[in-house]
Amino acid sequence: MNNQQRTANEPNALEKVVDFVDERVGLKTLQAKMLNEPVPGGSRWAYAFGSCLLFIFILQVVTGILLMFYYVPSTDHAYDSTQYIIHEVEYGWFLLSYHFWGSSAMVVMVFAHMSQVFLWGAYKKPRELIWLVGLALFGIVMAFGFTGYLLPWDQRAYWATVVGVEIMDKTPIVGDFMARFLKGGPTPGQMTLSRFFVIHVMVLPAGLMGLAGLHIFLFRKAGPAGPFRGTPEELKAKTDYFFPRQIWKDIVAMATVFLIVCSLAFIEPVTLLEQATPDPGDYHPEPEWYFLFLFQLLRLKMFGGEFGQFLGAIAIPGAFMAFLAALPFIDTNPQRDIFKRPIALVGWIVIMLGILIFTVSAIINREFLH
Amino acid sequence: MQPKLTAKARSSDGEVGKISKVIMDPISHEVSHVVVQESESQGQERCVPIGDVQEILSEEEIVLRCSTSEFGQFPILNRDQYVTTHEVEIAHLEDNIHVNPGEVLVPLPCLERDVPRRTFFTNMTHAIGALIALPFAFPVLKYLMKPMYKPYDNAWFNVGSAKKLTKENIGYQFKFNRGFKEAFMPEQQIEKNIWVVKATEEVKKAVYEGEDRKFYDDKGDVIWVNKANSPFIGFSGKCPHLGCGYKWRRTKNYPDGVFLCPCHLSIYDEAGKVIDGPAPRALDVLPLDVNAGGEIKIIDVEYKAGVKNQIRLL
Repeated sequence: MNNQQRTANEPNALEKVVDFVDERVGLKTLQAKMLNEPVPGGSRWAYAFGSCLLFIFILQVVTGILLMFYYVPSTDHAYDSTQYIIHEVEYGWFLLSYHFWGSSAMVVMVFAHMSQVFLWGAYKKPRELIWLVGLALFGIVMAFGFTGYLLPWDQRAYWATVVGVEIMDKTPIVGDFMARFLKGGPTPGQMTLSRFFVIHVMVLPAGLMGLAGLHIFLFRKAGPAGPFRGTPEELKAKTDYFFPRQIWKDIVAMATVFLIVCSLAFIEPVTLLEQATPDPGDYHPEPEWYFLFLFQLLRLKMFGGEFGQFLGAIAIPGAFMAFLAALPFIDTNPQRDIFKRPIALVGWIVIMLGILIFTVSAIINREFLH
Repeated sequence: MQPKLTAKARSSDGEVGKISKVIMDPISHEVSHVVVQESESQGQERCVPIGDVQEILSEEEIVLRCSTSEFGQFPILNRDQYVTTHEVEIAHLEDNIHVNPGEVLVPLPCLERDVPRRTFFTNMTHAIGALIALPFAFPVLKYLMKPMYKPYDNAWFNVGSAKKLTKENIGYQFKFNRGFKEAFMPEQQIEKNIWVVKATEEVKKAVYEGEDRKFYDDKGDVIWVNKANSPFIGFSGKCPHLGCGYKWRRTKNYPDGVFLCPCHLSIYDEAGKVIDGPAPRALDVLPLDVNAGGEIKIIDVEYKAGVKNQIRLL
């Protein structure tokens, strides 16, 4: 009896390994620290966007690495190797389509996450740095979309890049250098593909990982902002830890995102247009949907001509990003309740409606052209 | 003054125990309770709200706002309902507590005592780091810039026969293949396209304004002159707005046909002049020659899109 009890209390092999590592690394304390993060006012579905972004990114990394097993980044093989992935490799179509729709999910989620932070007033003191790093991450996500787009080397890829780089060329002083640097020459070709490939699979992932780490570190340092209403007593009464309630909400949200992206990959798998050539034929060039509003904006007469184009393509988006970066330093009022910040609320609605209207009109114009 | 852990706690009528723990409020980051362990060994630990601490006499002794018998009514600490500050992440929680009995000290190693030039060593480290990094800057930049600037290619390409142009003032597309050599890659044939218009007198006038058009190489020497009275006018296939490929199209508003770019909807007439849309300049006229047999030759000149003046790229 006594013997049996002793064996029951003795740690098994796995527990021994865990204890061994824990003794050297302090895993259990680390785990406790990660999970025991008080969420003021309690867990919410609205807080799941950030975790979802991390989840989508991880799956983009996994599917991206898998695509590189067959993809060849050269102008004479990129298109064929992508076709091979789609048509010949088992489940290649699925992994490529997942990667494609995952990138759209990432952009949607970034907009949702930024909107939530903006509406909750969570960019205000003491969280200014989290917001700034977040803006840099937003830039990286858009750059991911832009560079990944070229890699299949089909007509869509080629023309989105031609126009995108021409737009960058309009940046004052450094524009010409930047455009030539990205193209790796005066016109798009092999060097462009090589450069976009390296940027897409090495430079941007490294940047995103570093900045996302910093983002989360700063977030943990400042603590979650919590709801914008409620007295300290009310908040305290509803506070819970990151684990288990928030993690439960996060994992449900991630599973939902996963199912949606999978469904899109099944319903609308990626198909390539013809191989890229400097003659678009009957193809009407168009960027990915999340750049459509900018594309439509540049069709306006007021953004025509050399100066208008600089205004529409560089100055206005640049000024808007600069404004977002300056926002926590301009808006120093500690009031976080969005219903008591009318300018912020109206501003958000106007911008979202603007993007929506321009995107829809680009789609309507598309019908009109055919 | 902050009492130490282990400080004695007294009630109004005698000592009740000593402070064994401190409880922090996670929202206000202030001490909310002191935990007092009753005097006898293995005594119960009771949570005393900070408001019931009447006075802090010294670091060694505090006075509670209660009698010994009332002390027994404070709730017993349920340890399971708390975590230590090491197990939780609340920013700045520990800023307000100094419950440690004095500072925890570790002696400096002998060699580190009285080191006079710490700043010098710090700066030296940075300087050596910079000296390692700087020699890389120029080679890296040159390495990456290798393909960025190329001399202009002034070779002539045959694009097709002028006999195809049966009607005047209408855009005809000509496709041609040209070789591109990039880096180590074998030369690749790329299909490009241009548009040629057989121009009437008015259109010629609109394009050339009565003057011959000169084309220059990168040294500024003239390589070709388009005669103002030549009837065939070639336009580069690249839209001068943002570089898409435009088409000759008949639309409801322009039944005779116009050059229309499907990207940003720039519209040009048969002389290449902008009729509508955001384009900043007219279509780019190419150096073009027609030989006695009616073969059209062009130089594949490419200009930067989106600017008012022509800036040659290729």
